[in-house]
Amino acid sequence: MAPVRSDEARFKRYDLGTRQGNGQMVRGMTGLRVSLALAASVFVLGGVAAQEPKKGGTVHVVVQPEPPMLMQGLNQNGPTNMVAGNIYESLLRYNEKLEPQPSLAKSWEISPDAKTYTFKLQEGVKWHDGKPFTADDVVFTLDKFLRDVHPRWRPIVNAQVEKIEKVDDLTVKITLKQPFGPMIMTQEVASAPMIPKHIYDGTDYRANPANNTPIGTGPFKLKEWKKGSYIYLVKNEDYWLKGKPNLDEIYWQIIPDAAARAVAYETGKVDVLTGGSVDVYDVARLSKLPNTCMTTKGWEMFAPHAWLTPNVRNGILGNKQFRQGLMYAIDREFGKDVVWGGLGKLPTGPISSKTKFYSGDVPKYAYDPAKAKELIKASGYKGETIKLLNLPYGETWSRWSEAIKQNLEDVGVKVQIENTDVPGWTQKASNWDFDLNFNFLYQLGDPAMGVARSYISSNIAKGNPFANVGGYSNPEVDKLFADAAIAPTDKERQELYTKVQKLLADELPVLWLLEMDFPTIYRCNVKNLVTTGIGVDDGFRDAWKE
Amino acid sequence: MNLAQFLAGRLVKGVIVLFAIAVLNFLLIRAAPGDPAQVLAGEAGAADAQLLEQLRARFGLDQPFLTQLWIYLKGYLTFDLGFSYRQQQPVLSLIMERLPATLLLTGAAFLVSLVVGTAMGALAARRAGKWSDSLITTLALAFYATPLFWIALMSQIVFALKLGLVPNVGYETIGANYTGLARALDIGQHLVLPSLTLGLFFTALYARMMRASMLEVAGADFVKTARAKGVSQARVWRRHVARNAILPVVTLAGLQAGQLVGGAVLTETVFAWPGIGRLMFDALVQRDYSVLLGVFFVSSAMVVCFNIATDLVYRIVDPRIEAHA
Amino acid sequence: MNFLKRFARNRGAVIGILILLAVVAFAILAPTLYPQSPWRPVARPFLAPFVNERFPLGTDTLGRNLAAGLVHGARVSLMIGVVSTLVALVIGVPLGAVAGYAGGFVDDALMRFTEFFQTIPSFALAIVLVAILQPQLGSIVLAIGVVSWPPVARLVRGEVLSLRSREYVQAAVTIGQSTPRIIFSQVLPNTIAPIIVMGSLMIGSAILLESSLSFLGLGDPNLMSWGYMVGAGRTRLLDAWWISFFPGLAIFLTVLALNLAGEGLNDALNPRLARGRE
Repeated sequence: MAPVRSDEARFKRYDLGTRQGNGQMVRGMTGLRVSLALAASVFVLGGVAAQEPKKGGTVHVVVQPEPPMLMQGLNQNGPTNMVAGNIYESLLRYNEKLEPQPSLAKSWEISPDAKTYTFKLQEGVKWHDGKPFTADDVVFTLDKFLRDVHPRWRPIVNAQVEKIEKVDDLTVKITLKQPFGPMIMTQEVASAPMIPKHIYDGTDYRANPANNTPIGTGPFKLKEWKKGSYIYLVKNEDYWLKGKPNLDEIYWQIIPDAAARAVAYETGKVDVLTGGSVDVYDVARLSKLPNTCMTTKGWEMFAPHAWLTPNVRNGILGNKQFRQGLMYAIDREFGKDVVWGGLGKLPTGPISSKTKFYSGDVPKYAYDPAKAKELIKASGYKGETIKLLNLPYGETWSRWSEAIKQNLEDVGVKVQIENTDVPGWTQKASNWDFDLNFNFLYQLGDPAMGVARSYISSNIAKGNPFANVGGYSNPEVDKLFADAAIAPTDKERQELYTKVQKLLADELPVLWLLEMDFPTIYRCNVKNLVTTGIGVDDGFRDAWKE
Repeated sequence: MNLAQFLAGRLVKGVIVLFAIAVLNFLLIRAAPGDPAQVLAGEAGAADAQLLEQLRARFGLDQPFLTQLWIYLKGYLTFDLGFSYRQQQPVLSLIMERLPATLLLTGAAFLVSLVVGTAMGALAARRAGKWSDSLITTLALAFYATPLFWIALMSQIVFALKLGLVPNVGYETIGANYTGLARALDIGQHLVLPSLTLGLFFTALYARMMRASMLEVAGADFVKTARAKGVSQARVWRRHVARNAILPVVTLAGLQAGQLVGGAVLTETVFAWPGIGRLMFDALVQRDYSVLLGVFFVSSAMVVCFNIATDLVYRIVDPRIEAHA
Repeated sequence: MNFLKRFARNRGAVIGILILLAVVAFAILAPTLYPQSPWRPVARPFLAPFVNERFPLGTDTLGRNLAAGLVHGARVSLMIGVVSTLVALVIGVPLGAVAGYAGGFVDDALMRFTEFFQTIPSFALAIVLVAILQPQLGSIVLAIGVVSWPPVARLVRGEVLSLRSREYVQAAVTIGQSTPRIIFSQVLPNTIAPIIVMGSLMIGSAILLESSLSFLGLGDPNLMSWGYMVGAGRTRLLDAWWISFFPGLAIFLTVLALNLAGEGLNDALNPRLARGRE
């Protein structure tokens, strides 16, 4: 396979890789015109900033699959976040460098001992029902509502936070038990959406009828939801940020088939294809259409990291040499260039190169079947069948399973792919019923939140597909992650994270395959679409249509 | 036995079947791996034991299994199809919201295919062996033998993308706010591709069934007798052959009508048609038990009704059959 | 005129049989023609057909040889079609015959049982069954068989019901023939034609149903069937039409051949029908 493959890899890299490497606002073009258009796009970018946003207009966006509900405090599914990010807001936003920016908090202050966070709120903010937004809502949201129902905020608030209190109507103070560097990264809208106290306090949150008519502070309000067809949002005329939003209405269209979504874009039915909504192969084709822009920005906060989890409880998979053999056997370049159409980047370890605290100083694994064979032989593998659990998220993942199966069979490892639907996958992954399992996890802006959870032994628990399901356990790793989370300075944190990355890359508790890119495809006359580190999930506050 | 007795008897039995099916569905679905709480948690990309517990309690999954079954059946006895926690809506309203779209789609496909298919089959049989027969048979086969989703995608590419004649997906133009006739026309345009795609398949079935059945009957003794008596060819075909040949077609039509509700899953998926078939499939892959069971129940009830109707038609078409109540 | 001669006179049927024989031959010879696994990427992805003689039908998204896939797929698809149809016939025919002939309580009970399986939307039932049992060859075949038999039973019952009141059956009853003998010698032979027509259609629809399951991600990922290939190539219709076209064509031709052959068989078994062809 190797000799033929490399041709293709070169071919693919030329076609799409260039698009990747150079600023992502590149318009539809062929490889040769990249440099020219790059210069042009810089020019265009400069132009955009100076251009006065136009008011009004309608944008049609694809959301897939249909969100179960839009009450973002209770549900943080991908599609929910995309739509609800227009309705709800949080204290902070994060730019593409993941630096905190004001949102409902106008400013914030961290005490010198890094234990007190004081947030000053924007003035004149109103909920969609006209009631004022105050510090009471913030305290209710963070201290009561989210503590009760939010799986990401709950562990943080329980472990790190001493108290959350109102100082005055527009000031909130959070006191920590100890310094916790990632705290400033926790206020993204899906992680901590502000919930109206006057509607939810004292009620059964999950049974509250208001869940169907979400009330937030965001730039758009829910007008109509025709199940199976579309979600209709209209401009919030009383939005606190004067002059925003620019758009009048957004329709989120629900089109279940990927190929049909691509045709819907081409025939003009929709203007924006959000990340992951079209087949990777269609990305190349669609971005060459006239008036079409493509960007892979807007995923910096999540930085999805894809890997295979070996179940280290299962016989030979507990053997480090065997896992290293697998890593050498898998042609990850092929996965990136052919299966994923050149999108993404090969990871070196547990922390994405797109986020803070990444270190490339680790043992690396290039594609080397001969070495793989040696290691696998040395590990004492006797030909037992390895069950590879496919991730049922569409054709691309299936192709990836097939390619990896072929890679492993080439070095003499017997593999059987297991297929299920999504609930079946969740069940099997959560209950450790696999030998090798595909997964991709968000990094969530800080290793303490998005990375440690997959490797620390305290997170070995059934029932959650995003826990440490492989069962890897190493006291040294546990300690390094624990210390790094609460080390007072970034420099000290970096040292600890560098150590843990080196250690894990040798031990291979999981086989890292790809730092994924989810391209957003849109008509170029939709401006300021992706402006933050969570992209479309931060809503269409600043977007406008030419 | 008179018609009223026949109907009453069938209805009572229908209800019993439905009840048994409701139980079977419940057991079947529970045998599938995963549950709605796990799915929701899985989709969110984050979960802990407490969240799962909260969700399970909300779905009623923390109750003993038999209690859950009892609550479900008790609800159905009072025409309460339950509540979808996932969608925060009563199941019945979810179904009623989606049912019209499906009935429109499958109704259109059904009528077109029944009329066109039967006519094609009859024509082919009448001209058996001639070129028009071969043409019809080949066409019917082509419709039948091509995977439905392939035709669906191809038709979108050709008629929507390349020719720009009709919209490729959806039920109506979103955001256009048409009313009255303009809206009907708009929906009609959206209906063209999905209903034809779905109809093609059934047209082929009817055509083939009708042709085979007519040829079969044409050789029967009573037809021979009629010919011998000097009844005109046209009359023989119309009165003796076609009338008797329609029996298997009626069987098929009864079946198809019953499957109207659940039979359009693929078509609805590829054409983003907001119908009940998709509601069912989504519920299935989300293990949204109450919705899934509700859709199954509604479609089962429709099958029961259409079965009764089929037997009625049998009685009319072939009086020799005594329908057994 | 004997059976074979009658069959051979029907040109369509002969063509059908020839195509089927070719498909079966490919299925048998697959390991000889393409000894390598059809899953192995062997060339550049998206190689167009008729360009490179080593890959006459081109390559797919991962650079796998489509011709090899097609030939190996013939085995899988044929097997799925035939076995699941057999499952359906074995359940459906006896059930329908007994129900139609016995009438009364037996008919009632058996038909309720049939309805039981029919009232659940069949495609959904198939999906649920595959989901419960995991998408594997066995569960797919079983699911297709289980959702396919009720129409057979109803068809047979309808035919038998109608035949039962015909003169020659009544005559057999009058001269005191035993019930099983009447069913097997007078009634069932006369239902064979529609069963054959239906059976030939069913093999095809089983192959199609499997492709639909594949489309929804519920195929057996370790077996390369035609359905899998069509489904996997469907997102590339616009720029790599051949990936799903050739397996689609294979399905089409096979289903066509099955139908032509079934038709020929039908005519040959029922010489009375030959008159319809004049």
